[in-house]
Amino acid sequence: MSGLQSLTAFLFFPGGLFLLAAGLIYEWVDRKLVAQLQNRIGPRWFQPFADMLKLFAKEEVVPDGSHHGLFVWLPVAGLAGVLAAALYVPMAGFPVSYHFAGDLIVTAYLLSLPTLCIGLAGSNTRDRFSLIGATRTLTQLFSYEVPFLLSLLGPALVAGSWEISQIADYAGGRWLVLTQPIGFVLALIGLMGKLELPPFDAPEAETEVVAGALTEYSGRGLALFHLAKVVALVVGLTLVAAFYLGGVQGILVFILKTILLLGVVAGLQALLARLRIDQTVGLWWRYGVILALLQWLVIIGWEVVTA
Amino acid sequence: MSVRTPQERFIVPIGPQHPALKEPGHFEFTVDGEVVTGASVRLGYAHRGIEKATEGRNWIQNLYLLERVCGICSHIHASAYALGVESLAGVTVPPRAQAIRQLVAELERIHSHLLWLGVAAHESGFETLFMYTWRDRERVMDLLEAISGNRVNYSANVLGGVKFDISAEQADAILAGLEFLEERTDHYLEVIRTDALFVRRTSGIGVMTRRQAEVLGAVGPTARASGVPRDIRVEAPYMAYRDFPVVIVMDTAGDLKARVEVRIRELFECYRMIRVMLRDLPPGELSVRMPRRVPAGETVSRVEAPRGELFYFIKGNGTDQPERIKVRTPSICNMDSVIKLAVGHQLADMPMILAGIDPCFSCNDRSLVVRRSQSAAELWSWEALRLHGIEAYR
Repeated sequence: MSGLQSLTAFLFFPGGLFLLAAGLIYEWVDRKLVAQLQNRIGPRWFQPFADMLKLFAKEEVVPDGSHHGLFVWLPVAGLAGVLAAALYVPMAGFPVSYHFAGDLIVTAYLLSLPTLCIGLAGSNTRDRFSLIGATRTLTQLFSYEVPFLLSLLGPALVAGSWEISQIADYAGGRWLVLTQPIGFVLALIGLMGKLELPPFDAPEAETEVVAGALTEYSGRGLALFHLAKVVALVVGLTLVAAFYLGGVQGILVFILKTILLLGVVAGLQALLARLRIDQTVGLWWRYGVILALLQWLVIIGWEVVTA
Repeated sequence: MSVRTPQERFIVPIGPQHPALKEPGHFEFTVDGEVVTGASVRLGYAHRGIEKATEGRNWIQNLYLLERVCGICSHIHASAYALGVESLAGVTVPPRAQAIRQLVAELERIHSHLLWLGVAAHESGFETLFMYTWRDRERVMDLLEAISGNRVNYSANVLGGVKFDISAEQADAILAGLEFLEERTDHYLEVIRTDALFVRRTSGIGVMTRRQAEVLGAVGPTARASGVPRDIRVEAPYMAYRDFPVVIVMDTAGDLKARVEVRIRELFECYRMIRVMLRDLPPGELSVRMPRRVPAGETVSRVEAPRGELFYFIKGNGTDQPERIKVRTPSICNMDSVIKLAVGHQLADMPMILAGIDPCFSCNDRSLVVRRSQSAAELWSWEALRLHGIEAYR
């Protein structure tokens, strides 16, 4: 790839501006859907953009007792991680910008970067709500990450490759949701755990720990973390759609499939009460991992039999 | 980074400003990881000096002042006061007025319990149930507005009776509203019994045994959920509860789920009774004449507020102003149970356990000075206490 193309990929599409805008639009769709399901009106379409503008314009207060450099740069690292992850994912149906053997693993870790950064950011301050929130964030990370990764590896197994572009090519038009329903459900719910959406919002349960790990964040840092989350939402939905829902061929199919998934996510958010953090961990390790491994065994067994 | 020794305690403060509390109260939970090992409460952030203020107003003005003790159960406060003053003055209130008082009190209970259900759902992170209950609660608020003209402080009482009558059209509107509410309440009862996640957050959490409830002096639905048959409407009927009795709703489980269930099942009892009342509303006058001066004497007035027993002590001195009015609200009786039940539970359960007693902070707050003097016990005369009260508020 030439220098100019790389620059475009980083700054405009699929990284950079496109993802930020898409993330905020998807956030609005999510908020609007949840509001409608809860019998509320919900925000107008520009509300997420207005929130961001307001946060960026605000003064950022760095609390006493926290490491100044970490406090400022952790949000940047988190956002950079998810933006980089998008380069390996067929965003909006276009071919991936970069690819190499095993980029699925790298992408999965880049997608976890914001969560790690939020956990670190919470531990970096002396606020008690932040500390508890950070502990919960990291606890939750260790619970959903394994089943989420296992569910993404299911399609990789049948495609015989750990390269996202090749898996997407294989899964295009194959609708793996029919052959690997458990993996699909785990991937979607794992994404909700990753984004700390209800019922997995114990790390930021406002009635217990105010805003969790991000209690001390205001202004720019909060905005960057928020952007990292909404970008992770878009990238995650794209991955699930590309792997399980017959791939994303073209921009219309991309919008259709990801919004459909977002509808399911919004429905689950409205339907379920918050889980306690110990219940979250129990759910993922007692059922999630076991089911994911079961799915694996079936796939491997099938591969061996048909080989 | 130093290693934390076991002696050091990690205290999570909740309040006086915290998203879990819409009113100011301060709770300190000592936690070990996620498990609460100690709890303490500090109240008094919303102390308004209402008891003292009553001493400078006449009997009629106090009716309006005391209606504003609580924003949710406003009618029951005014009623408790009116009942007490009427008994002190030896005035017999016409039966129709008593029945209308009771009708408004029960409508208020419906709105209070639905409001609480929404708050409990919000504390457990079940936002949809919160939104739905508060939407349906609007219906009973509309009914209250239709009969009284107000949504919050209905101002139904006057000393010696009530202000408004219930017309036939209003009765029909109430019946139609009850139809809707009963259907919705049925649904909510099913939700809290069957929703897997909600049950996991409430079942077996904050269990208070019957013995504990009796020792801690719990009142209202909190006590009834632990199997204590305590309901002033049945034990000492006031207003028209002798003619339109209620059945005590109880549960023996004593956990959070029981507290939710008891309150929801009480709603059905409210619906049933309001229907009976609208059918058999006694005819007659709405109020009788009340003397401006009330004879000297003391009286105690107990009523069942939505949160439990509400207690008024009223002392008159023969003038048009009371000598002393003492209010004991149910929240303060139940606050002890929160502190006792908190230990051993997870931090995530704290908002639910706290909300389980349906706390109302500003009615809680009293100004109380405990002086532990080294000298022998002091005995304060009434006059000295009164002087002290006047000095303290100057």
